[in-house]
Amino acid sequence: MSIGLSIIAGLGVALFGFVLQTSVAGLNRKVVARLQKRYGPKWYQEFIDIFKLLSKRATSHGWIFDFGVIMALGGIIATAMFMPITNNLLAFEGFDNFFIFVYLIAVGMLGMAMSASGSGNPLASIGVMRALTTMLAYEVPFMVIVLTIINLTGESSVSAIAQAQQLGGDFNWFIIALPIGGVVAVLSLMGMLGKKPFETYIAPAEIASGPMVEYGGKQLGMLFIMHEITVFIEVSLFVHLFLGGAENIIIFLVKYVAVYTFVNLISYVNGRFKIDQVVVFFYKWPLLLAVIQAVMAIYLGLVI
Amino acid sequence: MAGLELVILGVFTSAVIAFVLGSLHKVLGSAITIVASGFVFVSIAYYGLNGTLDVTSNLVPAFAYAESYASIYFAALVSFVFFMVSFFNPYFVGKMKYPALYSMLYLLSLAGVIGVFFVTNLLGFFFYFELVVWSSMFLIPLGKRIKSTAWYYGFSAFGSFSLLFALFILSGTDSNIYTALGIVSGSEQNLVFVLLIIAGFAKLGAFPLHIWLPKVLGSSPDPVTAVFSGGLEKMGAFVAVLVLLRLSPVGPMIDVLGLTLGQYVVGFLGALTIVFGTLMAIRQDDAKKLLAYSSMSNGGYIILALAVMTDTSVSGALYHVLAHALASTAAFLAIGAVNRQTGTTKMSELGGMIHKMPISYMVYLIAIISMAGIPPMGGFISKWLIFQSMINEGLIILSIATFFGSIGSFLYVFRPLAALFLGQELSEYKTTIKEAPFLMLIPMIILSLLNVVTGVIPNFVLSYINKILSEVGVSPLGLDGNFIIQGNNGNLQPALISGMFAVGVGVAFIIFIVLKKSRKVELTDTYTAGNFVYNEQLLHYTTDFYAPLERLYDQYTTIMKDFYKNLAYKVKEFGQVVRYFFFTYKPEITVFWIILVLLFLLWGDVV
Repeated sequence: MSIGLSIIAGLGVALFGFVLQTSVAGLNRKVVARLQKRYGPKWYQEFIDIFKLLSKRATSHGWIFDFGVIMALGGIIATAMFMPITNNLLAFEGFDNFFIFVYLIAVGMLGMAMSASGSGNPLASIGVMRALTTMLAYEVPFMVIVLTIINLTGESSVSAIAQAQQLGGDFNWFIIALPIGGVVAVLSLMGMLGKKPFETYIAPAEIASGPMVEYGGKQLGMLFIMHEITVFIEVSLFVHLFLGGAENIIIFLVKYVAVYTFVNLISYVNGRFKIDQVVVFFYKWPLLLAVIQAVMAIYLGLVI
Repeated sequence: MAGLELVILGVFTSAVIAFVLGSLHKVLGSAITIVASGFVFVSIAYYGLNGTLDVTSNLVPAFAYAESYASIYFAALVSFVFFMVSFFNPYFVGKMKYPALYSMLYLLSLAGVIGVFFVTNLLGFFFYFELVVWSSMFLIPLGKRIKSTAWYYGFSAFGSFSLLFALFILSGTDSNIYTALGIVSGSEQNLVFVLLIIAGFAKLGAFPLHIWLPKVLGSSPDPVTAVFSGGLEKMGAFVAVLVLLRLSPVGPMIDVLGLTLGQYVVGFLGALTIVFGTLMAIRQDDAKKLLAYSSMSNGGYIILALAVMTDTSVSGALYHVLAHALASTAAFLAIGAVNRQTGTTKMSELGGMIHKMPISYMVYLIAIISMAGIPPMGGFISKWLIFQSMINEGLIILSIATFFGSIGSFLYVFRPLAALFLGQELSEYKTTIKEAPFLMLIPMIILSLLNVVTGVIPNFVLSYINKILSEVGVSPLGLDGNFIIQGNNGNLQPALISGMFAVGVGVAFIIFIVLKKSRKVELTDTYTAGNFVYNEQLLHYTTDFYAPLERLYDQYTTIMKDFYKNLAYKVKEFGQVVRYFFFTYKPEITVFWIILVLLFLLWGDVV
């Protein structure tokens, strides 16, 4: 594929991710509403919200406020461009390295944090502080588990890891092959997505949605788009690394919706941790379990 | 042909000239530092990279020099850092008590560090090593506090003595340090390994010999801080390269890890350096001290990666030397620029600098993106290489430290960005502050560009690093063309990532620009939950930024400092015991010792 086509394909993946996650999030609002004996909004309510925001005239707190939003959305779109959807459907074959997703996503996060701090609202700064602290908490156990997977497969390309699981023989799906690691990964995924009990950095009733507090209009709309694509990247990573990826798009959709809905359902029956509880939690159980799993798998060769 | 000896002697001479001219006029001396360090950088980089550097010594036969790829790499990098920082000297000498002395010592430490990289005879090595220690030691008290010099001296002396003992042992085999490191074996090899590692750790500020680093970097003048972090510290990395790669690692093999005990202990200390530096950096209020702890943590990466000794890890370590030198120098210079304009580096006293100093802000932003290891900057490449080796070797505990340090670096580098540059512009700085002068912006902009270049097209540096790897007997890193790096378990194309980042930002920019234009409002016009907030200070959230996280480990932060204080106390106590017995005014004790000595001397003859 020529580079021009690859770029278009990559942008297509980002757009697909946005549409998919926004629809799934809308569906999930209905699912959660039924859980709580409500009807809930229409499944496309999230689209309406975003496009309404994009059409409105907003206020800006200076150039860094706008620049941060552009950097955030740009960084996330760039990350999504590398994400494989199925075995064959990926824009840059051979370059979907796991570390790109971890680190390129951070550019987006940094842009958003910068923009939020640039708004000059202390609640936003508190939100950013909490978001970064949460990141410090969930990222380490998750990385240890991914280390184990990369060490076992000898591949750090996300699609290659997915294919290694599909071939059978060598590896089961890693959520079965590394069951303890699977638990850790689910917990880390909840931290990544900011689901309860780890949604401390958004905490609407406490710090007025944290980093988002000063935004409105197109900036907020763009950050919503960024958020949806971020969720798409994180959930897809889980699908590819732990659930064997997808041979075709239907399987991908099924796995994707199942993972997101599962995490969302757990989230809605939980309360919210304080921020130091989040850190203590992740460094107590998930990290311990992750190390146990890594030692079992790498040194002792105990892989199911 | 350019003679290395002439270059070094030239620096010595210009140090004297700088002192003389600096005594006449403050700025003249610092102008000499720019010219001289620029001359050193250009001659070493040009002739060294062409392979035409003449290393014979004719004028001072006591010193023998040799060139290697590693020494040219380090020398070019460090002299470049000295050159860039020297642009700051004219603006900072004015406040110092002894400006002429400053210019002289600045050049002497450059001469010393270049000497260490090239000299081969044992005594010459020690001479240049000490030259760096002593000249930099007198640079520190020209800043805020004198007390930190004592800490620096204490740890440096420890390192120097270790080095001296190691050289004594080596002198039994050969007078050329490189040959001697290859010959020495058995228990002597173990001893040299430990002693040289101590010397390297003391210079690099690695755990447990790190106490001096934040104190010195926090309190010395801003250019000295930048030079320490970007240049002089790297001498410790050079010693670590010598000891880990030239001397085979010692100790029994740990089969399950695939490392020897010596390697693992060094790597583990590197891991502790990372974790400790990160945790301490998170809780600093002084931006310079924060970056000092970050330097410590990055030094840990270098040690850890060198200790693992595979192709990806060593090339990652050497690349990290470069990436961190460029990034931390740029960051320190940006903070130094703010310090010059405002007179403080405390984050709780600053805010909103971006409004008046946007270029310094961008320089700092690019520097921290590199420091945090985020693409498209140089720090990403080295961290990626280091992670590759960690994962491939399956080093679980060490990788936890690297992951922790890498995520933790987001936390601490973001703090100065938010507290110092962003947020409300405090009223005391609204009228008085300007952007830094043009001459100070030049090195900052050059360093920022290099930070980006090393992140987008790293292969031209990595191919040079490959020469170093083959020189020290490590298999070279796989490079595919000019753009692709072949890791242990996957390829990386940094230019592609950077390009896609540009595409993403372009798309986001188009979305932004086609939508309705926003109305601009003041930074005090924010949502405050109905409270009436009338001044900027109340809205600017800077003090104790990570308070909930800091609370978790606050009580453990003074452990190492207390340990050294207790050690100092114990040494003092021991000294008092010695004094009580030997250096006393009581005649009966003196008579007792005389009798005892006589008895000892006459043992076997009379009794």
